Amino acid sequence: MERNPMRRQLQVMRKSLFDQGYLDEQFVQLEELQDDANPNFVEEVVTLYFRDSARLILNIEQALERKPFDFNKLDGYMHQFKGSSSSIGAKRVKAESTLFREYCKSGNGEGCMRTFQQLKKEYATLRKKLEAYFQVARQAGPMETACRPK
Amino acid sequence: MIQENVWISTNSLDFAQSMTLLLRFQIQSYIQRTMYSHGTSGEQSNYYSRSRGLRVLLVDDDEINRMVTKKMLEKLGCEVTAVSTGFECLSAFSHAENSFRVVVLDLHMPEIYGFEVATRIRKFRSCNWPLIIALTASTEDNVQKRCVQIGMNAVLQKPVLLQAMAAELQRILHRAKPL
Repeated sequence: MERNPMRRQLQVMRKSLFDQGYLDEQFVQLEELQDDANPNFVEEVVTLYFRDSARLILNIEQALERKPFDFNKLDGYMHQFKGSSSSIGAKRVKAESTLFREYCKSGNGEGCMRTFQQLKKEYATLRKKLEAYFQVARQAGPMETACRPK
Repeated sequence: MIQENVWISTNSLDFAQSMTLLLRFQIQSYIQRTMYSHGTSGEQSNYYSRSRGLRVLLVDDDEINRMVTKKMLEKLGCEVTAVSTGFECLSAFSHAENSFRVVVLDLHMPEIYGFEVATRIRKFRSCNWPLIIALTASTEDNVQKRCVQIGMNAVLQKPVLLQAMAAELQRILHRAKPL
């Protein structure tokens, strides 16, 4: 049980991210990789993810403005986006990506657009929550150990 | 002969940490064995030496995946060179002084498809080295089959888990024929 109130808050935030399905096992993987040599590894990876994926989101947005839809291109972008989302454990974002790709494969433009809107929402929410999380993490100092959510 | 030690841990993170420590040890003793068997001295090597790790070439065009996989391999005691294209991978091999023991290769890269890269590596180095681990997001059987046909040594599903990487590395190093 954490004595430090900041660390306790951090644990609560962390648990909530997992319980509400924003993050999955892969995020724990990142935590396992963090060590003295790279004490901010998780935050670095996540920051890089949001920077890189912003470009992909823009590409998809632009591609969705050109009719008729180039489903191959859209699928290609989303494949990439899904890959990196997956690597950081972005569970909900990943689910929307999967759905989007299915709509691409079946050539369903409406489905793509709808799903993309939802994806952007999830992405924005995750970004906000993780920013808040890392802010507290920086103040709380290093956690004793990453533990799997029950 | 490496002793298999089993730690009983209270949670799976302890187990993962134990596994990685064990594998680090095994990788380092493996390197010492192969170094000694070729009579290479030069460096002062002992079990705690970190100056030489298992030389791995990582090929992945996605920056995030590259960063995560690289860290994962370093955690397991590897000395990692990371490149982002198939071309860079092949040119890394054309330099004789780069003796990579293992190539970790993402199969889905833009300009040269991962299979092509692996085929060329095998042509270039027709012996058993380097060992090739393929990374794929695909769950299709024919991907696995094709990997085996081309002469890859392992296939891992993405996203890669540390324990899975550790287990595969251990397996293929254990089975690998000596140089």
